[in-house]
Amino acid sequence: MNEAVELIIPVQSDLVVLARLTAATVASRAGFDVEEVEDLRLAVDELCVSVVNGSGSGRLNLTFHSAEGSVEVICVLDGPFTSPDQAENGYGERDLSVRILDALVDEHGEEMGDSRRRVWLRKRSLRHQGS
Amino acid sequence: MDQVFGVEVHDEDGLLRVAVRGEVDMATAPQLRESLYDAVDRSAGPVIVDLLAVTFIDSTALGVLIGALERSKARDAELRVVLNEARLVKIFEITGLTELFPLFPSIAEAVAR
Repeated sequence: MNEAVELIIPVQSDLVVLARLTAATVASRAGFDVEEVEDLRLAVDELCVSVVNGSGSGRLNLTFHSAEGSVEVICVLDGPFTSPDQAENGYGERDLSVRILDALVDEHGEEMGDSRRRVWLRKRSLRHQGS
Repeated sequence: MDQVFGVEVHDEDGLLRVAVRGEVDMATAPQLRESLYDAVDRSAGPVIVDLLAVTFIDSTALGVLIGALERSKARDAELRVVLNEARLVKIFEITGLTELFPLFPSIAEAVAR
């Protein structure tokens, strides 16, 4: 199986739940177990938080690419973005977000452009590792 | 379990318990911040943060808890987090917050400390 699902939502914190719901469905269809589905749900939330936090308007374009045992999520912000301030104690929300992503997915990254911010992640199911 | 967010503050013999339920994310965290900070500010003793009915937390929610912890420390008070869902404990562990927060598996144990 190879599927792509797109979700476009306005930059609103109360709509990020739609990204989580989509993530759970896509992960489940890709054969992830219950814990991995929850991992991806949280990871996608963190992806959205990282862009919504620095923007007040625009829209989020999320693309979920899935194959058997793996999911890639790309989140593009079309709209203005400013990097939120980092906390000095190392426990700022951005820092926490990175720690969560480091622990829950195989790879994640971000790219900044003049008017676009792109963040992404990839996660493979442990059951499908090596297959 | 109910995913709809809610927060209530209970005064139990002078001990404030902030009972949270549902999903705590960037949309609902501001409500948690308001209730929690208010409880910390008016409590004369430790504040119990009851997360037993919480179904989801993210970095935004953790940020609120850290803010409340710093606020309570400034008042020489204590914040005790009650949590027994393995999935949520895991999030505290991977972010290193188990070093900051005393976690209790039940309200009775948090009160008895």
